[in-house]
Amino acid sequence: MGYYLFRRCLQMLPVLFGVVLISFVLFHVVGGSPAVMALGKNATPAALEEFDETRGFNRPLLCGRWTTTRAWPAWAARHGAVGSGPWEGTTGARKDASGAVIFAPGVRVVPLACPLRADTDYRWRLEVRQPSGGTLAVMTEGGALAAAVPVLSRWTEVALPFAVGAGRGNGLRVTVTGEAPLEIRAARMQRRMTHLYDSQLTHYLSQVVRLDFGVSLATNERVAEMLKQGVGPSLLLTVPIFFGGLIVSIALALICAWRRDSWLDRLTVVTAVVLMSVNYLVWIVAGQYLLAYHAGWFPIWGFDSWRCLLLPVLIGLVSGLGANLRFYRTVMLEEINRDYVRTALAKGLGTPTVLFRHVLRNAMIPIITSTVIAIPFLYTGSLLLESFFGIPGLGGLSINAINSADVDVIRGVVLVGAVLYMLANLLTDICYAWADPRIRLR
Amino acid sequence: MSMPAPELPGGNVVVASAALASERGRVWRSLCRGWRTRISMLVLALFAAAALWGEMAYRWAQACDRTPSYAQVDLGARYLPPSIFRHPFTAAENTTGIDVSAASKLRAGLRALARHPLGTDNLGRDVGRRLIQGARIAFQVGVVTALIAIPLGLLLGLLAGYFGGWVDDVVVWLYSTVAAIPGLLFILAIALVVGKGLTGVYLGIGLTTWVGLCRLIRGETLKQREQTYVQAARAMGLGHVRILFRQILPNVFHLVIITVSLRFPAAVSTEVFLSFLGIGVQGEPSWGVMLGNARLRLWQGMWWEMTFVTIAIFAVVLAFNLLGDALRDALDPRASAKGEL
Repeated sequence: MGYYLFRRCLQMLPVLFGVVLISFVLFHVVGGSPAVMALGKNATPAALEEFDETRGFNRPLLCGRWTTTRAWPAWAARHGAVGSGPWEGTTGARKDASGAVIFAPGVRVVPLACPLRADTDYRWRLEVRQPSGGTLAVMTEGGALAAAVPVLSRWTEVALPFAVGAGRGNGLRVTVTGEAPLEIRAARMQRRMTHLYDSQLTHYLSQVVRLDFGVSLATNERVAEMLKQGVGPSLLLTVPIFFGGLIVSIALALICAWRRDSWLDRLTVVTAVVLMSVNYLVWIVAGQYLLAYHAGWFPIWGFDSWRCLLLPVLIGLVSGLGANLRFYRTVMLEEINRDYVRTALAKGLGTPTVLFRHVLRNAMIPIITSTVIAIPFLYTGSLLLESFFGIPGLGGLSINAINSADVDVIRGVVLVGAVLYMLANLLTDICYAWADPRIRLR
Repeated sequence: MSMPAPELPGGNVVVASAALASERGRVWRSLCRGWRTRISMLVLALFAAAALWGEMAYRWAQACDRTPSYAQVDLGARYLPPSIFRHPFTAAENTTGIDVSAASKLRAGLRALARHPLGTDNLGRDVGRRLIQGARIAFQVGVVTALIAIPLGLLLGLLAGYFGGWVDDVVVWLYSTVAAIPGLLFILAIALVVGKGLTGVYLGIGLTTWVGLCRLIRGETLKQREQTYVQAARAMGLGHVRILFRQILPNVFHLVIITVSLRFPAAVSTEVFLSFLGIGVQGEPSWGVMLGNARLRLWQGMWWEMTFVTIAIFAVVLAFNLLGDALRDALDPRASAKGEL
């Protein structure tokens, strides 16, 4: 048994890794900038940079020495381009017809969108030419002048490393020497990483290993704290739904299977299909409006007393009943036609004994499969029920997070949900062995 | 004179297609037997027709470059209940101030009733027309998500079941991973990352729902791989691709049909959910958008939009559920009525 558990846990690792990988790809690779997604397009570069710094988004994706910075976004000349982009506010720069920027010899100041970091080096990669040759040097305001780099008369890419000085400054001082003006076709500024593998992936993996789910954008709370606080209300809502639904649907299914093809059975099956087909949203909206608002039987909204939970639990029960009932009825029907049931009845055992001691016990395996697998979904609660009835659980939390693009919260909920799902899978197998002595775990 | 050797694979195909045709006939006859199936097919035909009509109305309005009829705001006709709840004599407002005969009053009233048979919403937009546009969106979502999920699940399931080994390991790893992530949240996250709009809905639903089919197809292919017809095909020297797609695929295809009939209503419901949350379709009426709007207006006594949307979703989903049951009974009698995939 111990060995079995150990082996199963090892088997869970690749799936866990897959989940981490998928969430990484989803939020780091596909999604564009999470900072822009969360803060909006009009946020200042400094705010975006801070968002990226706290969440590790301002690093190379997988590995690398250099990474982009928001202080001076990458730029390339486009034919007939209008506007000056990052060159906005540069003294003495003009553009020619092809969009390239032209610097006359002398000292120019290029403004930066946000201050640079003092703890690391930067470099500026430029695609430049200067017809009669010359040199180019760059320094931050207050920093030390770096060595000048020669510029050729054909287009070449030069890298200008510079250190951030004490002043940090809001601008770069560019010194151009030579006869003819300097032309720049493309430019990007990069920040040097202290470590080659200091990347988004490693940052994320280390976060996951430390069970650190980050900080919520909306409330600035730690996501782990929020998850902890949300689990309670969610369970208060979903556990009654879960067990109530289980008991009601299994009882009804047993009755249906016992009285199969009677009017009761037919009615139940038809009702189950009808219940299944009503949209979940409709259950909630209609229930809240008719039962709580019109009839006044339940509180409409809130989480003050146990009475507030009655209506959500009722709605959850009814909306899940149809599908469960149909499934359990099929399972029971399969069992009830077996020989051992006929034998038990022929021996003179009472109906309840046969139903509960024999049929239910044998129908346990499929019931366990469908039940235990549903357990992890208890923890997210019901997304809609919670947000409609104002229950401060994980479901409402997730909906709010989706609405405000709170990446860290969503990621946290997804990761914990996935881990619980895998544990439930393991629990299912253990329950098999408990329900059916013929199954041995090795 | 020696007989030309019969080309076995070709002959096989002829026999197989004849058998398939008679099989199709059997399935079709067994489908048409029940009145429930007939009614659901009728409902689905109506649904498809509404979707087509909605698409045409949408394209027509685009081609003419004017506001489509379902989006026309008429502030003079807000909150009109459905026609049967309006009085034909007072439906038309008498603006002339002249006392007219009862007959002409009735005529004008009936004309007014015919304009908005299902009533109007809070901006005076016609509920019936918006409902038809909603059918169009729902149909699109069902079809496009199926077009994403079905090929993905089918191909991966076939490859995993047929080749086994590391291919199987990778596919099983992939679907276990996707299955482990809470479904609705995964869809929401994809929709969030892709951005608001139908593309997010398509990708979210499509990329998460292939798992069930993949699992089914893989299991069935594992079984079929050991059958004699596959061994015979292999002995005849047919290539893997040909065995997979010409021999095994027709034998597992019933699972695809059953899955589509179950997935379609689920996709429609998910779209309703996403649009209700404001992540789905933007700027166009879908059933979810209407439901969200109707929910707010319900407190002001506007019950009809809510009711009609509910009926529309209910009818379509119920029809699919009934049809799915019938299909399963006809195509795969041994499969349990599990309902979940």
